[in-house]
Amino acid sequence: MIKLSINGTERSFEGDEEMPLLWHLREEAGLTGTKFGCGIGQCGACTVHVDGEAIRSCSVPMASLNGAAITTIEGLADGDNLHPVQEAWIEEDVPQCGYCQAGQIMATVAFLKDTPNPTDEDINNGITNICRCGTYYRIRKAIKRAAENMQTA
Amino acid sequence: MTELSRRNFIKSSTAFAGFAVVVSNTPALLAAEQSSHSGIGTCMRFGEDGLPVLCVPTPDMGQGMMTTAAQIIAEELDLDLSAVSVEFLPFVGVINDDGIAQDGELVQGAGGSHSTMDLWPALRKTSAYVRALFIEAASQKWGVPATRLSTAGGFVIDQKANEKISFGELAELAQTVTVDKKAAQPKSISSFRVVGKDAKNVAARDIVTGKPVFASDVSVPGMLHAAIRRCPHLNGTIVSYDSTKIEMMPGVRAVVKMDQFLEDDQTFRVIADGVAVVADTYWQARQAADALEIKWNGDISKDDSTDLILKKCNALLKDGEFKQVQKRGDIETAFKAASQTIDVTYTHPSWAHACIEPHNCIADVKTDSAEIWVGHQTMAAPANIAKKFAGIDAAKVTGHFYRMGTGFGRKYVQDFVAEAVVLSKRMKAPVKVTWSREDEMEQDYPNHMGAYRVRAAIDSKGDLSGWHIKTALDTGRDWVARDFPAHTLENTLGEFAKVPNHISHGAWRGPSHNSGAWVVQSALNEAAHAAGRDPLEFLVALYNKTGTVKAPNWPNMDIDFRRHAALLEKVATEAGYGKKMPTGWGQGIAVHYTFVSACAHVVDLEMIGDNNYRVHKVTSAIDCGLAVNPLGVRAQVESGIMDGLCTAKYGNFVFENGVPTTNNFDSYLKMRIDEAPAVVDIHIMDFGDTDPRGTGEISLPPLIPALTNAIFAASGKRVRKLPISENL
Ligand code: FES
Ligand code: FES
Repeated sequence: MIKLSINGTERSFEGDEEMPLLWHLREEAGLTGTKFGCGIGQCGACTVHVDGEAIRSCSVPMASLNGAAITTIEGLADGDNLHPVQEAWIEEDVPQCGYCQAGQIMATVAFLKDTPNPTDEDINNGITNICRCGTYYRIRKAIKRAAENMQTA
Repeated sequence: MTELSRRNFIKSSTAFAGFAVVVSNTPALLAAEQSSHSGIGTCMRFGEDGLPVLCVPTPDMGQGMMTTAAQIIAEELDLDLSAVSVEFLPFVGVINDDGIAQDGELVQGAGGSHSTMDLWPALRKTSAYVRALFIEAASQKWGVPATRLSTAGGFVIDQKANEKISFGELAELAQTVTVDKKAAQPKSISSFRVVGKDAKNVAARDIVTGKPVFASDVSVPGMLHAAIRRCPHLNGTIVSYDSTKIEMMPGVRAVVKMDQFLEDDQTFRVIADGVAVVADTYWQARQAADALEIKWNGDISKDDSTDLILKKCNALLKDGEFKQVQKRGDIETAFKAASQTIDVTYTHPSWAHACIEPHNCIADVKTDSAEIWVGHQTMAAPANIAKKFAGIDAAKVTGHFYRMGTGFGRKYVQDFVAEAVVLSKRMKAPVKVTWSREDEMEQDYPNHMGAYRVRAAIDSKGDLSGWHIKTALDTGRDWVARDFPAHTLENTLGEFAKVPNHISHGAWRGPSHNSGAWVVQSALNEAAHAAGRDPLEFLVALYNKTGTVKAPNWPNMDIDFRRHAALLEKVATEAGYGKKMPTGWGQGIAVHYTFVSACAHVVDLEMIGDNNYRVHKVTSAIDCGLAVNPLGVRAQVESGIMDGLCTAKYGNFVFENGVPTTNNFDSYLKMRIDEAPAVVDIHIMDFGDTDPRGTGEISLPPLIPALTNAIFAASGKRVRKLPISENL
């Protein structure tokens, strides 16, 4: 049996341990904010945090998650208070279709923890999620805005 | 889990039906019970809290229609966008005499960059009409003349008496009053306070908090999941499969043969021959489907390889049979008198849609009715698909519509809905079909591929005097052989030929224009250089001389090419086009109209070695008529820029012996943020138009030639074959 916490709630899992975390989140935990985009770790639509680090949940089997603390997009805000990265995404009007954005936001939150004051080059190396709508110009602006807001907060 | 129960839906639809208005150019209030399939919808309803909910009649796939439509409604109703919620209207079209669901006066679809244009008159008039009903109701309630009342923030206000009353409190009375058509006129442009101003995506908060806004997020009670193995060979079939092993796998309920269904004279694939596995969860269905051993027969399409098809296209250009689709004057006269000529050939492969949300659909087919949950570009389609594939009366089909994780023309097609309908009918239960990424690419309806030969004549004055274009493609699309400048110059010839194959093609963002603009704008750039003229000056002179000409292709609008010249001059000025740049840097310029609107770009880039480059900046100008949402227009221009940069550099959807072999993001490459220009400078032109036109497909086509022209300026290398990453 796998025991893990998701957005602060303790859960246990007894199914197919080869199943990637993504499908546990979407099909069993009812957390559909995390998206399926490729299933092979390429697009980042499925990005969540495992013990604070950004991982691509389509490529992480349940077997490896005993004792892990997972945060998904649904667990990022503090009640009605959005995370500064979510705020910046709204302020810069980033989302077009919106499908990739949960993954982009989760990747950015983890990225800014390690790189609180990123340069363009840092962003180029640190953020590798695909956005099929091509919101990259606004994502870059939103990352910088969030970084600024988090420093002054 | 997101349970969308039937009861919830009925509850909300009662509130909705409480305010049924004909959404049309001649709005009228109608009895609530008439409100399904009679062309009746509403521009707003009241939520359970009594607050207004704006109802958007067209789909949103990232092109921003939800926000744009909400702005138009909010403008006429004097509502504050931040104080209302917004939702999609169900399908409110009509069922015609043949039992086919179709749009009424309101077009409930997204294609051809037409949504804003289509909605604009009907939605304004309907919203203005509803506002007039509230005013009239308040006037009767208070016993004061309607003319002294105004509206703001969801209230009718009597300033003189210092009184106000909310729309919600007036809802019942408003349904009993009649108004003079004159009192229900939409506002004049000069008084707009919402339209023409930046509005952020109204769904942004839901999106950034992970709310279930996509069809793939939906579950309905008792729902089963299907994963389908479809024949990877174009129009191939199943020889045999053995399901005994997988039938015992956890959660598996049934293994169902999917029968091939072709349309358009047995060539266009709607349902691929295949096998569906239906299980309790998607993961179980997927596991079992992947374990299934299937023997395919792909003989029918074994010659359909990208290399071979492009070879045949190029061979045709040398000595094949062509059909003339455009002919003006005498082309050979122009060539005889020419002082310069060019004769160049351009080639490009297929492109896949790669919709970020792989296709999915839930169908619940009962004996004589059906419900469908889907994101689709045509809201009439689900009813017709349920009719066609399950024999359900289209009037008895309820569709629930969601945001689409992109569409690009792919989510216009029947296949993923048809599969869910077939399987739900078979299982007698709601079934959700979810595609994998590999499914989405292998079963795509891709953009065309082909080769184009352009001969251009330049007279002694250095002007373009003849244009002979031959296109050899894998589709019947003859757009580029018929259109500018083939339909405007004095001496032209446009010819077209097709290489037969088994690819089912689809609409891909700016169909025909997407690569056609690259061919035309590249050749014009080459012609300018041959004439010894600066490309900007050459193009501006050409477009100014052309004036206004009716487009020879759909939607056949009058195009004022002097606006193209103005767009070019604008981007040139803003980008400092022609300025001195370091060695290895270059600027490229191009302009193009797609269907209804036009856009110009200047691309600034720097070569990285001989075979790569970095785009530093893109400067753009768009003419899309009245910009309802400038922030949204800029988003669409940005989107087209990024998609264009990505597709030009990497787009190569490869067929080998009838099988698409680039079937995920490790082989069908997509640009990421590291290659996106850090500076994008977009200008929305104001030519004084009072109506809006489209933006979704407009910016991509001219981007590709602006990019390849910049590569030429920076390196002297002329890109005549895409994708750039494989041909520079
Ligand atoms: S779905 Fe996980 S990286 Fe694409
Ligand atoms: S916003 Fe649509 S894929 Fe990123």
